[in-house]
Amino acid sequence: MTLLALIVVALATGFATMLVGDRPRRISLLIGLAGSLIVLVIALALPDEESVAIGDIGIVVTPVVRAMTVAWSATVAVLGLIELGVAGRPTVVGPSLLGLAVAAMALATRDAASSVAALAAGSVAGVVIPGLHGWLEGPTTGRLATTQRCALAVLGSALIALIAIAWAASPVGPLGSDIGFDPTPPSQVATGLALLAVVVAIAVRCGLIPLHIWAARFMEGVSPLAIPAAFAWGSAAFVLAVLDWSQVALTPDAVGGPERLLIISLGLVSVVLGGLAAMFHDDIEHVLGYSILADAGVAVLAFASLEPAAAAAARNWLVASATVKTAFAAWCGVVRATYGGHRLADLGGWARHAPLLGAAFGGILIAAIGLPGMALFDARSGLISGSMPGFGSILAVLVTAMPAVYLGRIALAGVAPISAAVGGGPSGRPKRTRGEAAGWSGVPLRQALLAFPEEARANRAPLMALGVLALAIMALATAIGGAGG
Amino acid sequence: MNLALVAVVLAIGAGGVIAVSTREAAAAVIGLAVCLVAASLAADPLPSAAVLGVRVVAALLAAALIRWAAAERAHQPSPLGWPGEALLATAGAVAGAGIAAALATSGPSFGGIGGGGTDGPVVAGGVGTSMGLLLAAGTMLLVLGTAAVLHPRPGLRRAIGLVLVTQAVLLLRVGLAGPATGLEEITRAALLVAAAASASALARAITTADGPEALE
Repeated sequence: MTLLALIVVALATGFATMLVGDRPRRISLLIGLAGSLIVLVIALALPDEESVAIGDIGIVVTPVVRAMTVAWSATVAVLGLIELGVAGRPTVVGPSLLGLAVAAMALATRDAASSVAALAAGSVAGVVIPGLHGWLEGPTTGRLATTQRCALAVLGSALIALIAIAWAASPVGPLGSDIGFDPTPPSQVATGLALLAVVVAIAVRCGLIPLHIWAARFMEGVSPLAIPAAFAWGSAAFVLAVLDWSQVALTPDAVGGPERLLIISLGLVSVVLGGLAAMFHDDIEHVLGYSILADAGVAVLAFASLEPAAAAAARNWLVASATVKTAFAAWCGVVRATYGGHRLADLGGWARHAPLLGAAFGGILIAAIGLPGMALFDARSGLISGSMPGFGSILAVLVTAMPAVYLGRIALAGVAPISAAVGGGPSGRPKRTRGEAAGWSGVPLRQALLAFPEEARANRAPLMALGVLALAIMALATAIGGAGG
Repeated sequence: MNLALVAVVLAIGAGGVIAVSTREAAAAVIGLAVCLVAASLAADPLPSAAVLGVRVVAALLAAALIRWAAAERAHQPSPLGWPGEALLATAGAVAGAGIAAALATSGPSFGGIGGGGTDGPVVAGGVGTSMGLLLAAGTMLLVLGTAAVLHPRPGLRRAIGLVLVTQAVLLLRVGLAGPATGLEEITRAALLVAAAASASALARAITTADGPEALE
């Protein structure tokens, strides 16, 4: 029942936040913030294992469901706080809560078709609302078309997966005879095609190369804070749901030589080209977008074997990488709101100007690279080397070095001489206004409360940096512990 | 052959053709509503009253959302006209019926029933069965919807197309794998409404600019 409570609260507050919108903005954000905090408390109270049956609907809480809901709800709460400090229309918390609710439901039910349909229905708001708000704030030729492509990709991926799931479950489909896996060649072809169809659905949903154009354009035109719900978490939940189904319905025997080759090629192209694009782009939002895409490329390698070890590694990887990329997205959002720039050339000395933000970025850097023994590091190595025995272990080292390069460039810019744009931005160091003059210890509680909004406004930049630091700590914790996959 | 199901499939097709081909926005929305409500009745046997209620409410809500998008602008009629769209729909339906026939006669390694799958369950396959009719309805809407989604200018036509494609896949899902569970019925309804909501929001957003020409 705990998970049901979480789903209900997240749905109710997510819808309320979206319906209020910017009329007025503060009320919408407060509803979203309150909702995300309640959802976080419920997520923390979730038992490791719980099962509830409502009619013919079975809801089972597993360690992965718990890990994902805790990590996602915690990041939504912090992103909500950061969104309070960032100007613009509220586009983050409402869709995130809605996405969290459907993801929790989708991962806890054992019915793949329900999961996929729910994920598409709940996560399409995560691309349409930020995309439309970007359009309304400055209509450009391509922005609305991009948002349309985004909605088509989110819905289209689910529709492809639904057809594949229906085909596999059909009495006239490859598995319809209820006698388990039929090893005759035509049936292998059919199950292989079903596997490739769901991998294509994942490629569309995650924006894997060469289907990445819509995702890249989307990330250019929206607040970086809206990206995790749309891509990192939304895609992770979709991959997890499809992976669970593939393991049970198709079994590892469905992966033949040609299927394995195609899946590995698709994953590797995204890992390598996405990583290279992140390394060479100067725009921090592009770095964020391509790094998420490269992470999805690693996850898709789990479909090249469908073995339990690969699936467990993929679960750890998806939850940990989504948490890390949420922290990185928050960093991008705060940097953009504080300094106005999003190119490395304009961000010289950002870490010297805002040491708290620099410390947070250090945490993100370590979490993204990982160290041997950390769940994220082991999951990535396991997925890559497991899908390509021999050559994979060398490739795993190279892929591990990619975040060191693209995030390292940003870190180096942080310790460079302070640029004009950064120098002109609000200081990242805490400062006091009325409170300090009166001496906080001698101030009555009422006066301190009244002074709080002014103090918060004066310290907007360090407070947002504190939020990023909290997310970085969360990213480190998830990178170390994984998702209990 | 279930004649009531045949009538339902014909209503789905007629509604779909009107939705994508008429010049009047209001008529297009009525056509869409007819198509979606008929699609909610496309089952043999009919589901329970509760499930039927969920389906019909979702269909009407989806049509209402598209109506909201149609409120401030004219419909974009089909460049083919209604005879062309009707022919397209017929071709789609024939393709769906062909798929059903092929599945029914395929070999046992594909689980086909007509070919004599020995260990598989006995399933009513073929053109005139409920599976065949549902597949025909699904492919018919898929063809109509895809053509509308590929319309070069964003607006109401694309919105209607997206809803039709979603409904088409939901029909194909039932045609292939049989009745859905209670939870799936709810999520299917949510998916249809979400598709209509996003499509109508996108179509309506164009009114904030100078019109579709701004996007050319």
